[in-house]
Amino acid sequence: MNRFALVFRLPIIVWQGLFFLGPLFFMIVMSFFLVKNYRMEEAFELKNWARMLTRGYVWDSYWYTLGMAGSATLVATLVAFPAAYALAFRVSAEVRRWAIFLLIIPFFTSYLVRTFSWYVILAGSGVINAGLGTVGFGPYTMLNTPFGTVVGYLTLTLPLVVILQTVALANIDQNLVQAARNLGCSPPRTLISVVVPLAKTGLIIAALFCFILSFGDFVAPYYLGGSKPPTLPILIIDTTKSGQQWPRAAVVAVMMMLTLFAIAATAIWLAYRRRIAS
Amino acid sequence: MKDPLVVLSGVVKRFGTFTAVHRLDLEIAQGEFIAIMGPSGCGKTTTLRMIAGLETPSEGEVRISGQVMNDVPVHERDTPLVWQSLALFPFLNARENVEFGLRMRGVDTVERRRRAMEWLERLDIGAFAERSVDTLSGGQRQRVALARSLVTEPRILLLDEPLSALDAHLVIRMQGVLTRLQRELGITFVHVTHSQSEALAMADRIVIMSEGRVVQIGRPREIYRTPGNRFVAEFVGRNNILSGISRGDAIETALGTFPAAGLPAPGRPATLVIAADLVEISQAPRDGAIPCSLISEEFVGATVTLFLEAADGTELKVQVPERALGELNQHAGSRYHLSWPADAGHVLTET
Repeated sequence: MNRFALVFRLPIIVWQGLFFLGPLFFMIVMSFFLVKNYRMEEAFELKNWARMLTRGYVWDSYWYTLGMAGSATLVATLVAFPAAYALAFRVSAEVRRWAIFLLIIPFFTSYLVRTFSWYVILAGSGVINAGLGTVGFGPYTMLNTPFGTVVGYLTLTLPLVVILQTVALANIDQNLVQAARNLGCSPPRTLISVVVPLAKTGLIIAALFCFILSFGDFVAPYYLGGSKPPTLPILIIDTTKSGQQWPRAAVVAVMMMLTLFAIAATAIWLAYRRRIAS
Repeated sequence: MKDPLVVLSGVVKRFGTFTAVHRLDLEIAQGEFIAIMGPSGCGKTTTLRMIAGLETPSEGEVRISGQVMNDVPVHERDTPLVWQSLALFPFLNARENVEFGLRMRGVDTVERRRRAMEWLERLDIGAFAERSVDTLSGGQRQRVALARSLVTEPRILLLDEPLSALDAHLVIRMQGVLTRLQRELGITFVHVTHSQSEALAMADRIVIMSEGRVVQIGRPREIYRTPGNRFVAEFVGRNNILSGISRGDAIETALGTFPAAGLPAPGRPATLVIAADLVEISQAPRDGAIPCSLISEEFVGATVTLFLEAADGTELKVQVPERALGELNQHAGSRYHLSWPADAGHVLTET
């Protein structure tokens, strides 16, 4: 029996080892290598770390990426919630199934294609500015701005956030919602005092997914944000291109990994903490 | 009856094409312990939910203290319900659960903590106040749910089969807790249940419902000894039900003619109900006794129900004290003779 269990687990252990832990370990090791004459040499020096951690542009990029991904997470959570609430409580199970199916459809097409389609809408002579122009506003610059970046992040994450929130809300025990009303809780207050605490785990996991995907995304900040300023994924690409500085790019990558670990751990702790503060 | 607290008049509830409650009229007095009982799907829970405002009547009126409640939203009613699932909030501890209703009413922190603790202690669970509700036992959770509903000092408490998930010995204890509380507080309890032992043990009056209609309302002893119709006779207690024709002072059935009081005019159909615990059983043949053979027995402790079959296939039930069994030496196929005193029979004029 035990032998069987091991056999079945073996593929996932091998896969994780080969394609996740192995490269991760190599990346960490590589961040201590040196590049001389455009060639990487094995070494154990702290030079890359010292250089990257003391450069202002790295930290600017770090805080900017954190801020952008954080904003996208906040906007996605707030925009998705009414939609998810309606799908969970206001429509039939039939409509809910269809809605979730439709929310999966965006993932059929390439993210890059979906990103480019925003050009038509956001460009100086695009749909929005043409519309605003007829009533005497604009044109506004939306491409190559932080706004563009956030729009791109939401393109990637919003359908997923809506799906995860819908599932979280639909699993709420309706008796608890009715019990709150029965004990004198008005509908708006029920939402805050009962529905959100009950769906807390799912809502936080949805937000975490949004943050992780946005934080590591290259496409939106590059094509819609115009790399002004560059986010960490853009910084990684730029660093590898300029002078074959793979070790310095590895430093940035490790910084990102550590940040995500810290944020994910905090989020999971918050999500599964039994009680809310009262 | 004292002043009615709750009045349901001509209440109908439809869900789509299904009618859950048909034209229900019911008055519940101030301070009364009423049990609404019936098989599942009889409309008892829907009726309770209409009192709480969790369902809106399709027709008719629900009045509480004289005020028409049809359009009063749930959260403005003050009709707390103890749920079958208890519906305790998992993200709050025991004390915070009890405080919930007070918090909604804007009672300040110190005061609501004091009142919550008072109730937890009254129900002997003060020691568990800071515990997460899912670390509590079934009985403790039950008490938290009760405290949560009563802490706001409502005029009425609604109970939706809250004891159905408890172990048998805990049910008896909680029945004691409920009846004591109801007496002490003097408020109205409306208890929905499918358990006749709960209804008979606690209620001042029992409402029996079937298929969305009230089929009988009465005190427990009335319901038990003088069922108003065949449905109640079958649903409550263990009754032998014999259909027959009235002969004036006796009823003629397939098993013989038995003297009975309260029969309709001679020639009219009638039904004779004899409670299983009033039937006498003996091994020796007796005058007028019905010969039967034993099919099976159901042992529930102090009493045993014997299921017997008469010559024509009619099934008859006898309840005897367990200690009286020894003399009967019963085993399947044993022959017995059944009889009952003339005043044991209860006559239904419907068939």
